[in-house]
Amino acid sequence: MAREHLLKVGVSGVRGVIGGFLTPGLAASFAQAFGTYVGQGRVVLGRDTRTSGPMLTHAVNCGLLAAGCEVIDLGVVPTPTIQIYVAHRKARGGIALTASHNPPEYNALKLFNHEGLFFNQYERSELLDLFHQSQFTQAGNGEIRSVTSDLTTAPALHFDRVLRHVDLGRIRRRRFRVALDGVNGAGSAMSVEFLGTVLATHLEAIAVDPTQVFPRIAEPRPDTLTELAALVRRTGADIGFGQDPDGDRLAVCDENGTVLDNDDVLALAVQRALAHTPGDVVVNLTTSATIDDIAAQYGCKVHRTPVGEANVVERMQAVKATIGGEGSSGGIIFPAVHLCRDSYTAMALLLDLMAETGQTVSELVAALPRYTRLAGKVPFEHGRLGTLMQALAESFPDAQTNRTDGLKLQWEGRWLHVRSSNTEPLLRLAVEARTPEQAQALFDDAWRRLTV
Amino acid sequence: MNKALRISHVGLRGIVGQGLTATHVLEFAAAFGTFLEPGRPVILGRDPRLSGHMIREGVLASLLACGHDIIDLGVVSTPVVQHAIQRLDAAGGIAISASHNTIDWNALRFFGPSGIYLNTAEAGELLDIYHLRRFRFAPWDQLGKLTVTTDAIDTYLDGLARVFDLARIRPLRVVVDCCNGASALILRRMNERFGCGFILINERVDGRTVAHTPNTSASIVELQLAPLMQPLQADAGFLFDMDADRVALADEQGRGISEEMVLPLLADSLLPASPGKLIIANLSSTALLEDVAARHGGRVLRVPVGRQAAIDALSSYRPEQIALAGEGTGAVMMPQFRFVYDGIASMLAILHTICDRGQPLSRILAGYPRHHILKAEVPLTSPHIPALLEELQELFPDGEMDRSDGLRIAWPDRWFHVRVSQTEPIIRVIAEQRDSEPRELFETLLDRVRRWN
Repeated sequence: MAREHLLKVGVSGVRGVIGGFLTPGLAASFAQAFGTYVGQGRVVLGRDTRTSGPMLTHAVNCGLLAAGCEVIDLGVVPTPTIQIYVAHRKARGGIALTASHNPPEYNALKLFNHEGLFFNQYERSELLDLFHQSQFTQAGNGEIRSVTSDLTTAPALHFDRVLRHVDLGRIRRRRFRVALDGVNGAGSAMSVEFLGTVLATHLEAIAVDPTQVFPRIAEPRPDTLTELAALVRRTGADIGFGQDPDGDRLAVCDENGTVLDNDDVLALAVQRALAHTPGDVVVNLTTSATIDDIAAQYGCKVHRTPVGEANVVERMQAVKATIGGEGSSGGIIFPAVHLCRDSYTAMALLLDLMAETGQTVSELVAALPRYTRLAGKVPFEHGRLGTLMQALAESFPDAQTNRTDGLKLQWEGRWLHVRSSNTEPLLRLAVEARTPEQAQALFDDAWRRLTV
Repeated sequence: MNKALRISHVGLRGIVGQGLTATHVLEFAAAFGTFLEPGRPVILGRDPRLSGHMIREGVLASLLACGHDIIDLGVVSTPVVQHAIQRLDAAGGIAISASHNTIDWNALRFFGPSGIYLNTAEAGELLDIYHLRRFRFAPWDQLGKLTVTTDAIDTYLDGLARVFDLARIRPLRVVVDCCNGASALILRRMNERFGCGFILINERVDGRTVAHTPNTSASIVELQLAPLMQPLQADAGFLFDMDADRVALADEQGRGISEEMVLPLLADSLLPASPGKLIIANLSSTALLEDVAARHGGRVLRVPVGRQAAIDALSSYRPEQIALAGEGTGAVMMPQFRFVYDGIASMLAILHTICDRGQPLSRILAGYPRHHILKAEVPLTSPHIPALLEELQELFPDGEMDRSDGLRIAWPDRWFHVRVSQTEPIIRVIAEQRDSEPRELFETLLDRVRRWN
């Protein structure tokens, strides 16, 4: 029987269900550990639109003040906006209160260092140890600072960073017709301003009321964006954008109302980035080989990391990559703006690509190398994981193997990747091949071997 | 013994960072959120201590998580919180204030639906919930909402203005030592709104520093306030603690008046209008109370020392049976204010008395029989306190005995009280006598107490 993961305290922070699992006490303790770790000084805080955001804001404020930190509260803002602000204000660190694409009953603390980057693996494990040791800095009356709000400057700062890397005049002149589904998330107000005012598009927006609950499944995927697709068709939009609650991920819909595979969105962004600035590309193991083909066109190198934004970011920093991301989850990381997943950068790059080439989204996608991808989830019993992986590897002796995150088996023109989910007792199976038939055959074969 | 943290029936109290941490605050507030009935808002206020910022955030988080709506009054006196609970028909409230403790302390004080401190049974239930740590958190779509208000002090002053004729006291020249606490905000506003003309000292409110220890003892008054009285030609001087629930005073001749005198003064002014009613006071308070009560046909009910005993006594009488309740520390509750310890209300009542009598404060005080009180603290080292009390009881077989809090024995002209402190590891020895010092009695007591320790 699959266990429900109502609370997870781990190297990626704290995530859990509100109402007894992710409690204010736990959030405050974790924040106090964070404040102890980064040291007394400014810490930036922001949140998405979840109902538990204000409650957790107070809890985190309490923990940070108790550690002697000063809090700058940005209110409801996208996660990348917080990260950019942290670096700009030279703060000690930042915290985003968001469970990203998880359902509304969840919330989480995402932690950033003084550069506005996800904690690397060393920082994460040090912080976790500190949390468990409960040896926190305890500020006395004279050392306790206050919470100040900055509800205005962060969005403009974020826009400014993005606009340095696109041709704003060219985008504005096209007066694109754009459809937006903001999932009533943290980016709601900011996206309307960015697309409607800054980029001067004809904007048709739904779900941009941050006071309302998420109207759809929060993760932006082809099957959750039917409203957006309908909006595109109804309004004849050139492109449709679907955000997640904290505005880091982006899904895209073409002018025909077809929601693109997230791997293709990343591929377009990589193409746009490498055309202007050739350099290394970093993606996770589950991202499409399309990226390899595009990088090859520009003579650039592709690095593969375990799944997880922090892993991708860490490698990008190490190799000074031009661009990176995680295909299936809909995230583009463009370090020239900031080393973080950012839907605003993605929107601007795509509109700029359309303006530059004069092509429609479907035309741009049609020009990409074609692969078929299939994915599935297989429940498994704890303790059997090693045996399953081993058997799978042995049954494909001709494949090139990569074991840095589960098992990836690779052949010319196709691959399969099996890894255990970090959040559920599930195996995630992904395959890719040049034709649908090849992909289905590989998927069925692997599925059979994993479910014996 | 680590005195930096104390969790008891009176709530949570400690030195912030050293004993009192964010975790304590969150858990205690969650216990209160679990204890309170859902449905009505909870009132929150705090004194100016900087640590109040941190504690406020923790209290907000836990109460919101338990599904309670909160009305935050900001920096106010504790009585303002209590009044708001009554006025807004709230489920209860929390005052973040360590009152008369030094600036590095802070505390959570809990109030029920009437704005009165939790009684011992209620406080016991709250403590049990805290210790069990099984809190009733609301699901994600039923969390509370926060409202911040800025009009709490004005609404409180409207209430004071209905009970006291503020125009009448305007001719008096009054100096107030605010001790950098919440009273500064209230009195400044009274000057603006009612032209009270209070001369305020130590009125800067930054929560970081205080001009002196914020307690209302006579020695602080002697040192800080009394020397200003004659130079400023003041009719009366008052000194408040950080959250203005206690008050001490100085007369127009520059004498610090014992905090013990607040209760008899108020009894003398309130009893004529409420003959035969009760004065609730503790076993260590001056016998002058009996003298004053006798003048007006009132009666004194002696209860154990500490706020909790007074609160419990209040809840076992009907409000109309009681004229006044309070302690020798200058903390007094009046029925006009539905029994809230309120230093500012006490000050206004005393100013009214001065106007009513048409006499300077020193003359009013001189009109009372003179009681001489001697107090000492002996470090508590012996585990044999019951045996000590037995011995003292046998030594003085002729007096009227009360064993409800240590040992008190009273004779017509003198009394003594020996008890163990609830807050510190000491034995308190107090003896009082009319007209002259009870030196011999006091020395005998000290001698016996020391021999056992």
